[in-house]
Amino acid sequence: MHTASGLIIEGAGKTFRAGGRDPRVALEGVSLQLPPGQVGVLLGPSGCGKSTLLRMVAGLEEPTAGALSLNGRPVTGPGRDRGMVFQSYTSFPWLTVRQNVAYGLKITGDHSSLREGAVEHFIQAVRLQDVADAYPHELSGGMRQRVAIARTLANHPELLLMDEPFGALDPETRWQMQELLLGIVRKERTTVLLVSHDIEEALYLGDVVFFLSSHPGRLREVIRPDFKKDVPAGDREALLDHPEYRRLDMHIRRLMSEEGSTQGQPA
Amino acid sequence: MTVSLRDSITNGEAPARPQAPALKRRWLDFGQQLDWRRRLLLGLTGWLLFVFGWYLAAHAGLASERLFPGPVAVMNALVDLFMEQGFLGDVVSSIRRILISFSLAVAIALPLGLLMGAFARIDGLLNPLLGAFRYLPAPAFIPLLLMWLGTGDSQKIALLLIGVVFFLAIMLADVTRQVPASFIETAKTLGGGRRVVLWTVVFRHSLPGYMDTCRQMLAVSWTYLVIAEIVAATDGIGAMMMRAKRFVHVDDIMAGIVTIGLLGLAFDALFRLVYRWRFPYLRGAHQR
Ligand SMILES: Nc1ncnc2c1ncn2[C@@H]1O[C@H](COP(=O)(O)OP(=O)(O)OP(=O)(O)O)[C@@H](O)[C@H]1O
Ligand SMILES: [Mg+2]
Repeated sequence: MHTASGLIIEGAGKTFRAGGRDPRVALEGVSLQLPPGQVGVLLGPSGCGKSTLLRMVAGLEEPTAGALSLNGRPVTGPGRDRGMVFQSYTSFPWLTVRQNVAYGLKITGDHSSLREGAVEHFIQAVRLQDVADAYPHELSGGMRQRVAIARTLANHPELLLMDEPFGALDPETRWQMQELLLGIVRKERTTVLLVSHDIEEALYLGDVVFFLSSHPGRLREVIRPDFKKDVPAGDREALLDHPEYRRLDMHIRRLMSEEGSTQGQPA
Repeated sequence: MTVSLRDSITNGEAPARPQAPALKRRWLDFGQQLDWRRRLLLGLTGWLLFVFGWYLAAHAGLASERLFPGPVAVMNALVDLFMEQGFLGDVVSSIRRILISFSLAVAIALPLGLLMGAFARIDGLLNPLLGAFRYLPAPAFIPLLLMWLGTGDSQKIALLLIGVVFFLAIMLADVTRQVPASFIETAKTLGGGRRVVLWTVVFRHSLPGYMDTCRQMLAVSWTYLVIAEIVAATDGIGAMMMRAKRFVHVDDIMAGIVTIGLLGLAFDALFRLVYRWRFPYLRGAHQR
């Protein structure tokens, strides 16, 4: 394996120390690698530190141990190379859809992408061309999340980070958004690290699934749904029907319930 | 709708299809949205009720007409003031003082409020200081200002400034703090540096709130204006009222009060207009 390409996390840990309270160990000794072009999914019980890990990769949270790097460059703060889509809708209410999508290119002075029509391209990719001049408050939740995705992708990040991006959506919309995302990511060859607590989502989207355990958050298992190579791309029914899918689904469920039974114990 | 339904029944014809009953509407309900016509009508009604009550009170014989004139007398006095006594000059002086002092106050308070709201260190440095100054009543500075600046315009403008600027800075900082952290983080992960985030997210998100705060503090400005002009002035609305007091022209004093009220209303309307025009994305979000 060629080193120094893709996302590399080595022994990352995070201990929150807030005012006189006891320090809280959120993450401990997490090491993982995500090669370029792959979709990685962080899966695990609530409170195991998925968001914390993602925010550390984004440079929004400082690790208290270990090191992170993307394509050989150490993470020292937020940057355009690591775009993030948050669970809450963060499209700017004072900008129209089009202005929102153009925002990252404008502030980074990327005039060539603006000229080459990156904005329109990604508005079409997330199928928002009909509401391109609307303001976010006129859109549904799913549409707002698509604005955020288009805005992040238009910036051409090397790594796309997503924290439960479809968590607040109804199953049908969620489904469509997953397919949309997969289509775009395949086409643009974006590397993605996505937080989920939904097993189906994890197995459908992920080339590799990182299962975290809680108290403290540790990488418990790396699951590679390699059987997906045999399934026609995007054929969800065939996927869900595959015996290997059902085996992994069962396996992860077991991991989840094991975690659940240790939930009450203090860290 | 219910009427037509009942009609068709008494006529002996069954209605072609059962009509959906209209939602029960109440005159007062939560979350009602009024169009501008209704709002204007209601606003005028409030005014008319007030003037009518004033009229009744003035003509009930509780006090002499001279000490408590009715609305008609005050309107006549107002017309007379403008036509015969050059009141327009007073009004212009007052508005000029307000505009100069308030612009200065915003020019000082806005950068302070923005930086305090955005950066905890700057807030830590300035908040206790400005917070303390805020509690000092501005009129307490009048003797000082009179000694330092004399009785001219600069003394009045300074008083108005002192009366408003500390509140304004603290309130603008509060507005600034409302920016959701996720907006700031989004901009950072899109490649925005500190300066870019400050302007394109923190400032931009706060802009409507800034306007609202300024609208409210402008009303406070008028309070200090009258105080300043009553203390020592040769022109201005407050000065006119003090002159009128000397000759017990109560109708003129009341005309001055009405003028201030109308000017306040006009400034308020202006702010609202700019607000609707500049912030179309807030329409529906919260109606004002
Ligand atoms: N700012 C903070 N201060 C103190 N503790 C924190 C902070 N942020 C997170 N934590 C703690 O770190 C742990 C991990 O939190 P995190 O939000 O990363 O979990 P998560 O896996 O994303 O959970 P969920 O699936 O519910 O979103 C939790 O125990 C949480 O209480
Ligand atoms: Mg989370």
